[in-house]
Amino acid sequence: MSTGTPTMDTTGTPTAPAASRQRIPTAAYGLIVVAVFAGVIGLGMASGNFQTTGRTTAGGERVAPEGGASSEVKGWMAVGDVATARGVPLPELLAAFALPADTPPATALKDLESDLFSVTALRDWLDARNAATP
Amino acid sequence: MGTAPPENGSRAAPPTQEPRHDTAAAHLRRPPGPRAIPAPALGPTVNGQPLVILDAPRSRQAGTGTVRRPRRGLAALRGVQGFRRGVQLAVALYVLWVVIDRAVVATAGAMGTSPEAICPFGGIETVVTFLTAGAFVPHAHSSNLVLAGAVLLLAFTARGAFCGWICPLGFLQDIGAGLSSLVQRHVPAAFRGMRALRRRAAPLAILDRPLRFLKYAVLAWAIWGTATFGLMVFRDVDPWIALLDIGRESTGFGLLVLALLLVGSLFMDRPWCRYACPLGAANGIVARFSPVRLERSASACVDCNLCTKSCPMGIDVAKATVITSADCIGCLECVEACPRAGALELHVGLPVGGRA
Repeated sequence: MSTGTPTMDTTGTPTAPAASRQRIPTAAYGLIVVAVFAGVIGLGMASGNFQTTGRTTAGGERVAPEGGASSEVKGWMAVGDVATARGVPLPELLAAFALPADTPPATALKDLESDLFSVTALRDWLDARNAATP
Repeated sequence: MGTAPPENGSRAAPPTQEPRHDTAAAHLRRPPGPRAIPAPALGPTVNGQPLVILDAPRSRQAGTGTVRRPRRGLAALRGVQGFRRGVQLAVALYVLWVVIDRAVVATAGAMGTSPEAICPFGGIETVVTFLTAGAFVPHAHSSNLVLAGAVLLLAFTARGAFCGWICPLGFLQDIGAGLSSLVQRHVPAAFRGMRALRRRAAPLAILDRPLRFLKYAVLAWAIWGTATFGLMVFRDVDPWIALLDIGRESTGFGLLVLALLLVGSLFMDRPWCRYACPLGAANGIVARFSPVRLERSASACVDCNLCTKSCPMGIDVAKATVITSADCIGCLECVEACPRAGALELHVGLPVGGRA
């Protein structure tokens, strides 16, 4: 510190004197907190990188299940839609995870999660199935 | 330099004999009743002159030996604490709106914001997967990454201010603490019971410091587990997720942890933040490099110990000259409690972190 006295932190460790320092009014500190936090979020929104749901794009367009990388399979997707989009018979998919055969196709994947089934496990299974299929 | 003011009955030891961190017994909530608030002006002197108590804003204090009477009740919400509570309330109301929208208003398929998408820790959990595979783990969105970035940038620019100013879980614990103080102030039996509990819990003080490292272990486990298994392993015990998804798919463990931290906050300030919050741990690690820090002027300090007593994280502010603790949440309660103008102030400066 500028007083020249030895300084220490809360653990008793000596701290270096500040080469230069400026007092921050408490109200300014509060404004900094709000501005930094809101500013980063605002930048994320302005750049289209603040997507809060997988069901729509940042632009508000609805996302439909489709083929492609298995990482695109999301928990909100219906099991029937995923099976159709991936070209997998629904009974085969259900049987692979010991899910009830009468599971409604409109059931969201995350509502089926259990010790035997998860979205990650489904992604891995789809990858393995695609790799095994010529 | 003034002499120590009279202590309340629960803490007779002078400040110089206090342990490094406040004891576990002292962590237990003390009500701001008549016996809990010492009157700094009754005894201390500064440079041989008796201290003068003013019930006036800090900006109007001037001259050596000017001491402000601590504000209580609604008066304590004037100034920066009112600002902080307003920010906390606004964020909490937004989260409440999202939760209600999720649980009541929206029907399947018609949902807008996923409550989990406004969790900053989700961004930290998924960051390894995102950097290595370019994908998000289930339940994570790009908003999680943006929020995590905001929290960590805030940790650098304002230390633990996210925890003290924004986090709704911290706000919930503050509400629990406020309720506890209110009950103890108006129900003598509750006050006596809490005092007896403090005495009985005194031997547990040795656990306080090691338990504070638990949150770093939780952070390491959550990041490692998510990167290894592709799942948010912390999700099942996460009280934040339990709160956001309440009424829908909250897990039993998450609700149990949420209930424990809410009940715990009646007896101790911010128990979750002190011992188990992995986001607070990440925050604290980054905050160590922040150029912003609280500094206590030993020459202006009147050794009243009010700063240590007011700290919700149990940091022994009165013993340090530079507060660099990773546990500091930037709530400024200590600054507001300080009766002496200029004794405890925020500064920005170099070297970063203030360490030698």
